[in-house]
Amino acid sequence: MADEQTANGKPPDPMEPFREMRDTYLDAWAKAMVETVNTDAYAKTTGTVLDTYLSASSPFREAVEKAMLRVLEQLSMPSRADFISLADRVTNIEMRLDDMDAKLDRIVDVLTRPVTARRRPSAGTAAPKNQQKQKIKGAK
Amino acid sequence: MADAAVIGDPFTDLVGKLTAFNKAVTTKTSIAQTPKELVWALNKAKLYRYIPVVPKEQRHPVPLLMVFALMNRPYILDLRPGHSFVEFMVKSGYDLYLLDWGAPGPEDKNLKFDDYTLEYMPRAIRKLKVISGVEEFSMLGWCIGAILSTIYAALRPDDGLRNLILLTAPLDFSNKETITFAKWTDERYFDVDKVLQAFGNMPGEMIDYGARALKPVENYIVNYLKLWDNIENPHVIEAWQAMNTWVTDNIPLAGGVFRQLIVDLYRNDRLMRGELMIRGERVDLKRLRANLLTVIAEGDHITPPCQSKAILSKVSSKDKELFSVPGGHIGIMAGSGANKRTWPKIDDWLGRRSE
Repeated sequence: MADEQTANGKPPDPMEPFREMRDTYLDAWAKAMVETVNTDAYAKTTGTVLDTYLSASSPFREAVEKAMLRVLEQLSMPSRADFISLADRVTNIEMRLDDMDAKLDRIVDVLTRPVTARRRPSAGTAAPKNQQKQKIKGAK
Repeated sequence: MADAAVIGDPFTDLVGKLTAFNKAVTTKTSIAQTPKELVWALNKAKLYRYIPVVPKEQRHPVPLLMVFALMNRPYILDLRPGHSFVEFMVKSGYDLYLLDWGAPGPEDKNLKFDDYTLEYMPRAIRKLKVISGVEEFSMLGWCIGAILSTIYAALRPDDGLRNLILLTAPLDFSNKETITFAKWTDERYFDVDKVLQAFGNMPGEMIDYGARALKPVENYIVNYLKLWDNIENPHVIEAWQAMNTWVTDNIPLAGGVFRQLIVDLYRNDRLMRGELMIRGERVDLKRLRANLLTVIAEGDHITPPCQSKAILSKVSSKDKELFSVPGGHIGIMAGSGANKRTWPKIDDWLGRRSE
């Protein structure tokens, strides 16, 4: 058994030379591929493939979208555009709420803490005079 | 019978390995487990505060805001217990916040850098200041998060930003020969408007393909061979699964931002040339005065080091440093050596500037 042990005590792995060969091959292939994808020819090819796909799929995509829109209208169901419009309005409301939250935070800060204690830059050092007087900024 | 058993063993072994391999590549692991609370939200964006584990008097008084890229999930910063930058920083005494952009829907296809830097970030930062009770803060931006952080820092230099850490920041697009993405998105080959007309937002799968195709053999073959070779090592499997969970969790990039990224940055390098306009304001990097640490990954194929160096000569910061780490775009922060090299460096640099 001792004869079968390698210098570091592990039994020899008959697959190890093949793994090393595989890794050497993959390293060389990896380097070649990195160089290949960094060429203008590769960029041109992928660009053309993507462009062709977009051109070819466009009529189908538009047809499906129109058909879906008609179906949703027939069923009195909201379309994607309706949801997008609604989402815009909700985000707008969220922003107004955030503005109000900022104002409330400012009011609470003014009411609850003495001026000198408001938002010091650090616990250990006194805030500079201009910072003590600095108004707490709103969102924008 | 004995012969049959001997012949059968390799097959049993193979079946066992295949089963383990199959399980490893299809299982999603638990990630982002450091406790946190939601403190602010707007549209898909959320601001989280990690629950401090260090007593307040021992914590650094200046809070740290992490801004991650727009097209990946930010939990790469908190991948798994014992191997999490977030966990490390919380234990090091930082009041830590994470701005999670979320996944944009079709309704967000017009969002631009303008919206993220001048609408979302100021609001999240205001809330951070209210909660932490201080006027100054530090910011850490990674990848596109570093672009957002840089734009914000240049546009709002008086907003209390004391320290800025940029990780693998793609800011300089002048060296097009080195930047593979710049070649792929060259206007001769890539019609950005046609893509966005078809998809609205840039699909996460296409972004993922782009990132993987930079090193196709490593990402599509070697990655899986490494797992196969170590299929009996539970530690390797655990790490591989966590990373695979993150890598395959793709989110789209808002169409407006993608267009700006390609046209304004990759093609025209407008940020470095001082020509980038955000809501009518020119982004002048000279206005950036915060202490600056730029971390670059020496083996980064996504953001080659040359993209992150020029910022140092453009800003007005008196305290600025370049830190170069061996490794790749993600590996420097989430790789096995990150907790020995990158994290301690960030802690050391930031800690001395957060008192």
